[in-house]
Amino acid sequence: MTKKTDKGSTIVILLIIIYLLIPLVVSIIYSMFSNWTGIVPQGFTLKTYATLFQDHEFLASLGRTILIAIVPIVLTIILVLLALFVTVIYFPKLEKYVQIICMIPYTIQGVILSVSILSLYVANPTFLSNRIIMLIGAYCIIILPYIYQGIRNGMRAVNMPVLLEAAEMLGASRIYAFFRVIVPNILSAIVVSSLLAVGIIFGDYVLVRNLASSAWPNVQIYLYQAMKSDSMKSSAVFVVIMAVTFLIAAIVLYLQSREKKGKKH
Amino acid sequence: MSYIKFENLYKSFGPNEVLTDINLEIEQGQLVTLLGPSGCGKSTLLRCLAGLETVTSGKVYLDGKDITNVDPKNRGIGMVFQQYSLFPNMTVLQNVMFGLAMKKVDKKVAEQKSKEMLQLVGLGDKLNQYPAQLSGGQQQRAALARAIVTEPKVLLLDEPLSAIDALLRHSLQVEIRRIQRDLGITAIFVTHDQEEAMVMSDMIHLMYNGQIEQSASPTELYTKPRTSFVASFIGHYNLFDAATMKKLTGEDVECENVAFRPEIIEISKKPIEKEDAFLMKGTINVSLPHGNIIRYAVMCGDIQVDVDELFGQSELFESGDEVYMAVKKSECIFL
Amino acid sequence: MKSKKYIYLIGVLPFLVVAFMYEIIPLIKIVINSFHPDAGGAFTFENYETVFTKLLYQKAIVNSIKISMISAIAGIIVAFFGARAAHQAKGKLHSIFMAILNMVSNFAGIPLAFAYMILLGNAGVMTQLGRELGIQALADFNLYSTNGVSLIYVYFQIPLSTLLLIPAFEGVRKEWQEASTLLGATKGQFWTRIGIPVLMPSIMGTFSVLFANALAAYATVYAIMMNSISLLPIQIAGCFVGEVKIRTGLGGALSVVMMVIMVIMILITNAISRQFQKGGKQS
Repeated sequence: MTKKTDKGSTIVILLIIIYLLIPLVVSIIYSMFSNWTGIVPQGFTLKTYATLFQDHEFLASLGRTILIAIVPIVLTIILVLLALFVTVIYFPKLEKYVQIICMIPYTIQGVILSVSILSLYVANPTFLSNRIIMLIGAYCIIILPYIYQGIRNGMRAVNMPVLLEAAEMLGASRIYAFFRVIVPNILSAIVVSSLLAVGIIFGDYVLVRNLASSAWPNVQIYLYQAMKSDSMKSSAVFVVIMAVTFLIAAIVLYLQSREKKGKKH
Repeated sequence: MSYIKFENLYKSFGPNEVLTDINLEIEQGQLVTLLGPSGCGKSTLLRCLAGLETVTSGKVYLDGKDITNVDPKNRGIGMVFQQYSLFPNMTVLQNVMFGLAMKKVDKKVAEQKSKEMLQLVGLGDKLNQYPAQLSGGQQQRAALARAIVTEPKVLLLDEPLSAIDALLRHSLQVEIRRIQRDLGITAIFVTHDQEEAMVMSDMIHLMYNGQIEQSASPTELYTKPRTSFVASFIGHYNLFDAATMKKLTGEDVECENVAFRPEIIEISKKPIEKEDAFLMKGTINVSLPHGNIIRYAVMCGDIQVDVDELFGQSELFESGDEVYMAVKKSECIFL
Repeated sequence: MKSKKYIYLIGVLPFLVVAFMYEIIPLIKIVINSFHPDAGGAFTFENYETVFTKLLYQKAIVNSIKISMISAIAGIIVAFFGARAAHQAKGKLHSIFMAILNMVSNFAGIPLAFAYMILLGNAGVMTQLGRELGIQALADFNLYSTNGVSLIYVYFQIPLSTLLLIPAFEGVRKEWQEASTLLGATKGQFWTRIGIPVLMPSIMGTFSVLFANALAAYATVYAIMMNSISLLPIQIAGCFVGEVKIRTGLGGALSVVMMVIMVIMILITNAISRQFQKGGKQS
């Protein structure tokens, strides 16, 4: 049966879409006009973008954001993979505790996490008081729920214990089977959760501000500084940040929908 | 004067016409079945009567009134759905009382009536259970009680037993029929199961492709199918076109199709001599016991003829046996 | 054989080390800190006394709860209609809506604050439009206030709550609506008596996520208000960053209070949804 979306639903959806898009669209337009004091913006220009991409500070902050994302993501994936492999196969009873540890950051979130790490290590005489190290540690924890859920769902979907048993019967060791059979099968789940993690780190302000603001100013810090001085420039930074954020979200969405389709066939 | 009447009813979903020129009349107090394969429009017709679908054109009458444009809730219709139609947040009793509460019936009266109704459907001891705690069959009993407690003018049942396993289904068929008769409700039952339709109905309306193919009593429908579709859908008719009949019997027939039921065929290892009968010869291909009958698939060249014989009534044949068959022309249906 | 199995525990070790160093121990430490004076010393309740007696911190608690409640309730209401529409919608409109919700759910923090400043700040586009067209409500809108901040909170709650609620509508069966219609109920009666009670566990679950989300939000409100608004996350961060002397005790106590509020809200929403789950799940 072919039925259409009813009128009420269409109106509700359109209203919400308009409401959600207004701040975005206005900021994008704002970044491309030199003067918007009346009703209609005037003086179209892309000069702001040109200067922005020649600004070393900006490019450096962008680079720092990407760089600081890589270490925690790779580290967390390895840690969670190992921990889940051992608990699911050898100590199923411990799995519950791994899950609890992984889900705690979901409720405590940024502020409390950052100040508790800060107060613990700020006076530490060893390398632990290094701001970058603290930041990496905090990022590992804040992305933990997403990485955990991605990997765990992936393992559930491929029915890991059965696959491992099958591989063992064919003569492979469990560890060999894990890395040759399970990991490739859950690769797409890992990729999706890594991208979610990139999105979180890319959008982070509170952790980097509280733990390492002057030592490692990322792109969010750059936007915050720019906001105080130059609204044209900051609107261009805003557009760049949102473009990257949406790109990541779009890739995630695409990968997830492909995954779903793949399962249907 | 008929109680329910569909007049030149058409219904389309976008470009698809699902009901074409339906004209149908239903008597008060009867249980009639809309029977047909899935997608034939039987459920849509039912939903048009309930007002859950608007009709594209045509008219619907109930109890002498044109209800084509009346709100569903003012039509006086009770309905039992396929499954999962009980409200999960309410107990069985609350579910049954819901319709009475909407009609602003006094709460005490409503509770009394609902309890009686639940007693009638055999759920007197499940009043305070939630739907999720009941079996599929019990849920449908509760749904039935909910639909009839408001004393609707007509009760609609949309494949209410299709999700219930075979054994239980039969006892529910009998029970629904009993309750319908006891209360004298007019009921329309939708199903794709011809045996279910045969057991339950006063009248069967067989639908195909958005049209009524034949309206008849169960016996009449079985013995006198009016079209080749009816013949192929009801029972296990052997249905052959004229060319095939010529190959099979060597005789010319003056119609498009000939249909005959498997159980009227006479079968023997010796040649059969008979006046006014089609005579055929073939080899037993498969024999399958089927309850108290045994069904032979007889190959006559590349044409298969199904033959049913009662156990113990005749000699048994085995695969590979050469057999002769005869079927009286007076018992054949020429379509 | 058995001892060999325990060798594999080494695999969990790296995970535990990182989790303990950067999650468990810091959290335990902050709880312990909250019971000691800032400068160190014996066990004391003085930090909690300060939190509950000083007006600044009382206000922070009240404001935080208020703004989280308001934005979560507003988010749920919009999400209810939005998710219902999304569930009903077909084809292109549905996929566009889902894509926009997914994208915008990442729109938060500093960029969101910036966009609202462009839109509704003192020289914002809408504010000026309000002046030009004589719409006083727009012209006089003050973003740099509790109301202004609440508006932004509502904004970031909407995509999240809608996305969380959409799957729940799959559970509201068409048969229930049709059955209630035939039994004489209006659409409104259907939703109040059947639809919303059935959805209540999901609504409560979503509510507690939204509440936690708003309670912990920091970047957005900091970008708009700096330290001139009294909210728990702002006060907590203030105890550790930017001050000459780090106030671990007071900051710890504030952190503990915030965590306790979160836990209480989770318990309340769980209790409410249990009320509505009497019938259990239909399999």
